[in-house]
Order: sequence, then C-alpha cells, then structure tokens
Amino acid sequence: MGRYILNRLFVSLVTAWVLVTIVFFLVRLLPGDPFLSEKVTPEIKANMMRYYGLDKPIHIQYMTFLKNLLKGDFGYSLRYKNRTVNEVIKQAFPYSADLGIRAVIFATIVGVTLGIIAALNRNRTWDYLAMFIAIVGVSVPSFVIGPLLQYVFATKLNLLPVSQWKGFSYTIMPTFALSLSSLALMARLMRASMLDVVNQDYIKTAKAKGLSPFQIIWKHQIRNAILPVITVLGPVTATLLTGTFVIEQIFAIPGLGKFYILGIQNLDYSLVLGMTTFYGLFLIAANFVVDIIYGLVDPRIRIAR
Amino acid sequence: MLKKSLAVALVLMLVAGLLAGCGQQSSQQQGGEQKQAKEIAFTIGAEVPSLDPQKATDTYAILIGHHIFEGLVRVHNGQVQPGIAEKWEVSEDKTTYTFHLRDAKWSDGKPVTAYDFEYAIKRLLDPNTASEYAFQGYYILNGEEYNKGKITDPNQIGVKALDEKTLQIKLKVPVKYFESLLSFISFMPVRKDFVEQMGDKFAADADKLLYNGPFILKEWKHEQELVLEKNPNYWNKDAIKIDKVTIYVVNDANTAYQMYENGETDWEYIPAELVEQLDKEGKAKYFYDGAVFYLQFNVKREGKPWLANENFQRAIGFAIDREALIKSVLKGVSDPATRYVLPLLAGLEKTFVEEYPYEFYSKNADVAKAKEYLQKAMKELNISDPSKMTFEYLTDDTQRAKLTAEFIQDQLKKNLGINMTIKQVPFKQRLELMTKMDYDVVFAGWGPDYNDPMTYLDLWVTGGGHNDTGWSNKQYDELIQFAKTTTDFKKRADAMFEAEKLLLEKGPIVPIYFRQRAWVCNDRIKGLVTDFIGATFDFVYADVQE
Repeated sequence: MGRYILNRLFVSLVTAWVLVTIVFFLVRLLPGDPFLSEKVTPEIKANMMRYYGLDKPIHIQYMTFLKNLLKGDFGYSLRYKNRTVNEVIKQAFPYSADLGIRAVIFATIVGVTLGIIAALNRNRTWDYLAMFIAIVGVSVPSFVIGPLLQYVFATKLNLLPVSQWKGFSYTIMPTFALSLSSLALMARLMRASMLDVVNQDYIKTAKAKGLSPFQIIWKHQIRNAILPVITVLGPVTATLLTGTFVIEQIFAIPGLGKFYILGIQNLDYSLVLGMTTFYGLFLIAANFVVDIIYGLVDPRIRIAR
Repeated sequence: MLKKSLAVALVLMLVAGLLAGCGQQSSQQQGGEQKQAKEIAFTIGAEVPSLDPQKATDTYAILIGHHIFEGLVRVHNGQVQPGIAEKWEVSEDKTTYTFHLRDAKWSDGKPVTAYDFEYAIKRLLDPNTASEYAFQGYYILNGEEYNKGKITDPNQIGVKALDEKTLQIKLKVPVKYFESLLSFISFMPVRKDFVEQMGDKFAADADKLLYNGPFILKEWKHEQELVLEKNPNYWNKDAIKIDKVTIYVVNDANTAYQMYENGETDWEYIPAELVEQLDKEGKAKYFYDGAVFYLQFNVKREGKPWLANENFQRAIGFAIDREALIKSVLKGVSDPATRYVLPLLAGLEKTFVEEYPYEFYSKNADVAKAKEYLQKAMKELNISDPSKMTFEYLTDDTQRAKLTAEFIQDQLKKNLGINMTIKQVPFKQRLELMTKMDYDVVFAGWGPDYNDPMTYLDLWVTGGGHNDTGWSNKQYDELIQFAKTTTDFKKRADAMFEAEKLLLEKGPIVPIYFRQRAWVCNDRIKGLVTDFIGATFDFVYADVQE
C-alpha cells in the first residue's frame, strides 16, 4: 500500500508539472495580450508589460514562474491590480467549497437513495418516479434551473432570497441547482449497479443462508453496488468544490468559478495559471483520496495491490 | 413488503429534510430585511479590479471613486463645482492654473495638501506606476515626455505645490475642458507616506486606502459587497444626506433585476427582454452612457480597394436602417447616430450639437441615396457587379453583436446587393486585429474621456494612437491641430464642427448609434443624477424620502 501511494504521488506530481507547463505556453498563444484595451497606447502598454515582467524572454518568464510556483506563489493578478492570485483564491475558495460540500452531500445522499429505491422497485411506480427525477436532473441545465428556482421561490412565493451568500436560507437554491446533475448521475449509477449485484452468486448464497432481506440489501447489495458511485465521487467533488461559473453567476456567490472564465477573457495569465494549478492539484488529490477509499470499501482491491 | 416500507421511509426522510430547510430559512430572511432611513443599495456587475486612483480604469471604480475621493474640482450633472480647491486662477494664455485649496481632511484626520495632488499626478505619469490611464496627464507640460521615458526628471513635469495650500499646474497648450478633466479618477490625490507604507498592498482593501470624499469605504468584501458610509470629516458634509450605501456585486443581469423587484436595491438596469414591458408601464428611464458605435473601414486593405472608396463607405452608411436596427436588436434602447458627436457634449454655452445642428445620415435607410453613392463608387473602381465588392465584418462574440451583424448583412444584401461575411471573435482578439489592421470592416465603439467633442474627434488624425484605419487627411489634421492649440474657443468649436463634417463626408467611419441604457429607480430616491462620462450614477447629493 505504501509503495502504491508513493508511486501514485510521483505520477501525480509529473501530471501537475505537465499541466502547468502546457497551460503556461497555451495561455500566451491566445490572440491579444493582457493589457490590450480600447484606450491603451503602445508606449503605455510597454510600461505595463515591463512592470509585470512580461517584456522578458519567454523562457525566463517560465523559469521565474516555476520558481515562484515551488514556493506556492502564483504572483499578482494582471487584472485585479494590487491583489495576488493567492489572495483571490484564498478569499473566493471557501465560498465555492462551502457550496460544493453542501452540493456533494446532498447529491450523494439523495442520489444514492433514489438509486436504491429505483432498483428495489424495478419497473414499478417508485422506479419510474426516481428515474424521471434523474432524467430531469441530467437534461435541464443549471442556467435554466437557477433562474426558474429564483422566479418561483424568491420572486413569486417570496420564501427564499434571490441571491447572495449570507446564511442558510441563501444556500438552499444554489445547492439544489448545483447538485441536480450529479444527483441524477449518482442515482442512475446506483440503480444500474444495484441491479447488477442482485444477480451475483453471493446474493444467492446469502438468500440460501436464510438472511433477512434487510441484511441482504444493506450488507451485501448496497456495499457492493456503491463502488461506481465512489469512483465518480472524486471528480464530482473536485468539480463542485472548485466553483461553478453558471451557478455562482446566477446566485451572485463570491466563489472561484467566475475567475477562470474571466481570467481567460481578460488574458490574466497569472490568474489562469494559478486557477489551473489549483484546480489540477485539487483534482489529483481528490482522485488520490478516492483510490484509498476504494481499498477501504473493497478488500479485494486492497489485496490485489 | 419490507422493501416497500424501506422505500417509503427513505422518501419521507427526504421530504422531511426539505421541509425543515424551508421553515428555517423563511424566519431568517424576515429578520434581515429591515432598512433604516437614508440607506440606499444598488448593484454593480463585476468586482472592482482596482480602486487605486492612478491605476483604476473601469466604470465601477470610477463610479465608486467619484463618491469616496474628491479632486480639485467636482463635476456634478455636467457642471464644474469647486472641490478640494476653493478657487483658482487661469493665466492669460490659459496654460497655467493656480489652485487654492480649502481646509480638508483625509479619513485619518490629517490635512489634504497640495503636495498630495502633486504626488498623485507625478505618480500617474511615472512609467514605473504602469498606469493605463496615464494619457489623461499628457496635457500637463512634459507629462507625456516623462511617461514615455523621454525625460527622467519628474521635477520637469508642469505640476508643483507652491505651499501646502497652493498648487500650480502648467499645460502644454490651452485645454478648454481641463477643469472638468480634473474630476477624473486619475487626478484624485493620494498621500505619499500612506502609499509608501502600504507598498504593494495599497488600495487592495478598504483599510488600505485613505478617503477624502463625501463617503468612506467602510467594507470591501471582494466579489460580494462594498459598504460606503457618510464621511464625518468631509468639508461639505452638511450637503450629504445619505448615511449608508450598500453596493452588491452581482454578475447576472437578471438576478440583479430580481433583487430590485424584491426591494433589495434602489435602482437597476433593465434586462433587454423586459424593456418593452416596463416602457409601456411608464417605469423605464433612459440615459446615454456616452458610447458611440460605428463601422470602421480599413482603407489600407490589400485586394479590396473599395474599402478605401469614400463613395462605397457612404453607400454602406445610407443603406442601413438605424432606427429599425435599434428597434429590433436593441429593443428601442439607443439613438440612431445621424452624425458622429454625441448629443450631450459641451459646446460653448449649450451643448455642441445644439450650437452646431447637423444631420448627415438619415435615421432610416435612404436606399436611393445609397445606390447613387454605390454607382459612383463602381464607376471610380471600374466594377460592374456590386456583389464582387465583398468584405468581412469583424465584431465581438456576443449575442447582441451577432444580431447587429446579421441585421446589417441583411440590409446591405437587400438594399445594395453587397455580400458581407461575419467574423466573430472575443473582445481582446478584436482589439488585437484592429491594432494590427488585420480586418476589412469592424464594428467598434468609443466612450468619452472628458466632456468635449475632441474626445471623439482627435481619434482620426494621421498616426493617432487609436486610428487603426490607415486613413490620413491633411485638412482634417490641420483642423484638429488648430482646435487643440488656439485660445479662441469660438474658433475652436468652429474648427471641430468642420472636422466632424469632413469626417462624415470622407472619413473611414460610418456612425450607427449612440448607446443608451434603460433603467428603473425606486420613487423614494431623490436627486440621483446619471452621468455619461464619469460616475454613471451620481448619488453624492441624493436623498431618501419614504
């Protein structure tokens, strides 16, 4: 296990390095430059390029970037002057993470539950109902669900605040809107996996041993069926926690999501690089944790490795 | 049986969870909605990138800066009022200004001095500050030379504090609008010891700035909200009625409007799809935001000589139905541009447009005239088939830009038989293609930097920093040069009018519309002023009447 972890760690670091290097050069290949604006003149732009060290040869910029990166310093944002990328992430990430954790928990509990209900009632009303919810969740995009929720629950019924992030009542609509598609994904995975497991020999053995249906479902069926859900939990967590552009826009949540998009639009090199590195490391870490959880849930995997 | 009861139990748990959530939130919301008197709130569409006066460039920084800083003068509703400068004298040749400062304090209690203004202006022009708006200081003697590194001694710049209360500014040439220019955010004072103490962190947060305006920035929760409070140290504090202002950062226009509908904010822009409805209900208000939009021709384009042809350009200009474009694409919000200079800019006494009325293009398409121009162009170019005179129309990648492009494409095809293709690119890429002059025709816009027609007109001089058309006209250059140096302001206005006419008749641009914005405002707000140059919404002297 220890060697396995070390091996994974090394692969992760190489992946991270390749990622930041590619992004470092790609972002500079985008047409335009960070200080292009309707009003700027060439001389003034030259002043700005010099100020941020962008007038230096690209390999020197790259070395400086790597050196700072090892110190965990992403540098100053080119757009949000006087603020470092570290500050931007430090200040915005907690909001995204808060929303993301809520969404992951909600999606997992409700999604898995729906999947179980559907599988246990295969081809009956409960199944159809659960799968209807799942299909709605997958097919209705968040930019539709968000404003719809706002219109119904905030404007018409006046039950919830329209937007912002100031307390529990503010979290309900964004959490629901954000979790919907992951919830649907998990419900479908769980259902398929449950139905798969039910035909396995060990279930038949359990039945033959005369175990109660509750024991069979709880101890044998669910525990075995939940593996695919755990697989997707890693990337889903990383995606939900690091911020989502649409939901954060619609509900005016001061999270990380928008910085990626705005960073690219503004060609804010340091912000884009910082965000990529952060997101990349987060994804790698999340997958890493999932690998370990795997081993805990399923002893077969632990032994095989 | 057990399976069924398990399912029912799980569903009940879910429903119970949802209901519990709902109950909790509604009680919380009611508690948080009490508003006290003299408090106002509104939204801005994005985080303010920087409130450092010498580095700020965007509309939101300019809006907020207008309320938390005060320069030598203050412009309110288009009028120049004394600000930190109580009075001032202008020399005979109109190039030397001497400002006498009043007793005013920074938010930390120390006095605002002439040295703070001198430091701020030199800081603006210092190449090491890397200020994007340094060009606002180019009017000042040696300002441009210092910023461009041609001279290195800042003492040669024409700004000097004669003592704590007297500031002298020398200009290169007389500048009619110099006083109003001084209310622009780039000229707001900053205090040397404070800036140096803060270093890189200056202006990064509410407590890393000093204020001398009607309000102070009490709280700055990035990406979330800014809170302004009345400044108890402000010299004119009795004229300020509002105690507290909350500015929410809301990116989504529809969300922002919902907040207004729910009574959480006091004014808001109207989303495009609601304009017609609110207009019918009599609730919509409109104001010019200063921007003029036009088609810009690349007259140096190889292989497409028609782009440089004056008659071809006019033919395009007359073939477009501006009013129909505004009605269908912009939902009626904006004004057809039948000339180039925005109808609000200052003339000598009244507005420039009132003093010099003129209409070159018509509001609707004038197909007969367009065809006449096209015939002339075809003759000059020796082309018999108009469909051969194709070009590519470069524009932004927004939905509105697309609809505008398609509308114009349709009009040109229908009215002139000209084929144009559309190329949509991101904003920055459009600017780069323009700078490199790698385009045929581009849909571009310009917003004013100061209240004078010159802010639009001097763009098109030969070799001008923003003249990305390759157009060069000696007569035009002379008119602008004359207007920029003469001390006779009547002759100056005459020359600018001549230049505008020349540009419309022969220049590489075809004006399309003057942009307007539709907005709504709560009736309880009094004295809120919209401004097409600086603050957008000026609530300095606003009041609340319940």
